Amino acid sequence: MWDAFITLMINILLFIYNLIGQNFGWAIIIFTVLVRVVTYPLTAQQTKSSKAMQELQNSKKWQDIQKKYKDDKETLAQKQMEIYKEMGIKPFGSCLPLLIQFPIIIGLYQAIIRTLAVTPLQLVNLSKHINDGANLIPINSQFWWMELSEPERLPIFGIGIPILAILVVITSYIQTKMISPSGGAPSDGGQGAQMTQAMTLYMPFLMGYLALTFASGLGLYFIASNLATIAQYMITGQANFKNILPKLPNFNR
Amino acid sequence: MTKMKKILFITILAVLALGLGACTGRRVVAAGWSGVTADEETVYFSYGPQAYAVSLKNGVQQWKYPAEPISGVDFYAAPVFTPDGEQLILASYKNEIHSISPDSGIKNWSYSVPADSRTSARFIDSPLTSEKGIFAPASNNTLYALDLNGNLLWEYQTEDPLWASPIWSENCECLYQVSMDHHLYALDAESGSLRWKSEDLGGPIVSPPAITDSGLIIVSTFNNEVIALNESSQEVEWRFTTSNWAWASPLVNGEQVYVSDISGNFYALELATGDILWQIQPGGGIYDAPLVKDELIYISTDTSSLVIVNQEGVVQGNQPVEGKLYAGPISGGDKLLLAPSESEYYLIALNQSGVQTWGFPPADK
Repeated sequence: MWDAFITLMINILLFIYNLIGQNFGWAIIIFTVLVRVVTYPLTAQQTKSSKAMQELQNSKKWQDIQKKYKDDKETLAQKQMEIYKEMGIKPFGSCLPLLIQFPIIIGLYQAIIRTLAVTPLQLVNLSKHINDGANLIPINSQFWWMELSEPERLPIFGIGIPILAILVVITSYIQTKMISPSGGAPSDGGQGAQMTQAMTLYMPFLMGYLALTFASGLGLYFIASNLATIAQYMITGQANFKNILPKLPNFNR
Repeated sequence: MTKMKKILFITILAVLALGLGACTGRRVVAAGWSGVTADEETVYFSYGPQAYAVSLKNGVQQWKYPAEPISGVDFYAAPVFTPDGEQLILASYKNEIHSISPDSGIKNWSYSVPADSRTSARFIDSPLTSEKGIFAPASNNTLYALDLNGNLLWEYQTEDPLWASPIWSENCECLYQVSMDHHLYALDAESGSLRWKSEDLGGPIVSPPAITDSGLIIVSTFNNEVIALNESSQEVEWRFTTSNWAWASPLVNGEQVYVSDISGNFYALELATGDILWQIQPGGGIYDAPLVKDELIYISTDTSSLVIVNQEGVVQGNQPVEGKLYAGPISGGDKLLLAPSESEYYLIALNQSGVQTWGFPPADK
């Protein structure tokens, strides 16, 4: 099942690669954007559920029961469920779309890395996923200054600067900040806020570390994915610029 | 943050990191299969970060090189002797060619490919060694010619990576180098100048061609074809269509030539015409040339078995082996040597009855 899914992803990636004149860098970017477009309904649903949950947690009713039953966890949970039911909110409504997207994202990573077969065993593996396409091999993995199958460094005055990893950190940070709600914090004791802050801090560095050490094709995917997400939020008017530049007026709808 | 949420958060990060790690596997993704060379007493092979010399008699390690692994440096190409037998040449997956003493495993010299900001030079297959020098094909599309002291003589660039060793032709006194750019190049060994270049052979070529005394060069291609070229006319003499990519080198045996594909089809063709004589499908992909020994043909497959066939195409036996056999069998003295992948052993020696006499896990494994 998983193998068939990866095979599909690899063949779509190779189809795009061939269609655009055998440039693997652009193939990664286009494929990433396509996957983002296809999974947009899931992203939108996740955002909607998160927003509803955020509003609920900031409501007076919610905060009142937090205070009232703070020493009685069982009743608190029961009351919370009642409020969810009353307001038609599914507590895990924002998790499910994320869980569905997760294998798609992992599959996309795997497709990119497997297609960039640069050693015999990797090529053996790739050959099991493609029916035809021998003429596309070897994949042209040169893109701008990068060799997509290797970690990227741009030599400047003799020093290899990891431009891609830096861009991954920056775009990941902007993306995480931009999609966080203004003020970030539900006032339920700050749990959500702490979680958001931790994500904002750690996630860009984790992504940057991966981009620094793994093949640069992955780093390119991260940047394309981050920019696609930012664009998606901007188009739908959900981008929260105030988290990045607090002096800006709020453009949120 | 509650304890539960902290655990959940860390778990998500870990899963993401591990998920990505699992996808990419290795950082610079260096992975091939073991290359093996043997003389009458010792077997030399490379696998991963080190190369080993092992007694053919009992599988006891004599030395390993380097003594301690060097981060990011792997060896998979078979070590090869220089013509005088004084040096063992070992090419790495990361920019370097090493000369070591066959007796002690101590380094004589090493050559480093000039650093390129983008691409590493992986030496996937072994260099060709001769009195004229050392000719090492690299994945950065370049054939490097060194003298026997490790000094660069010349370089030759093709359009795509070079995964196969060059071969020497007595007829034209030149080198033949195949490339993933679909071409075969005839090069002057002294100067590296191009003598001639074949027409587009239709697909990438990743294994050394076979050459006959009569001047027939036989090439396996990923275009599901085996093609015989006439060395004198440089024209195609015959073509044979396989069911899938022809990865392994052809092997000439008398008036027959054995070819195969990655779907596991093994064919015996008439050398002069390319007409099929017989075909078997022993099961499992075939990625390396077979071995002919004592009138029998030994074929490695990636389904954990060594298949033994007679020269009429009748299967004589099937030797199960732990792991996958991408590398072809090698003859060493009276033994048959196998280098399985995904196995607890790096090397297995079988006696004439097919019984394992020793396996080699290195002492510190």
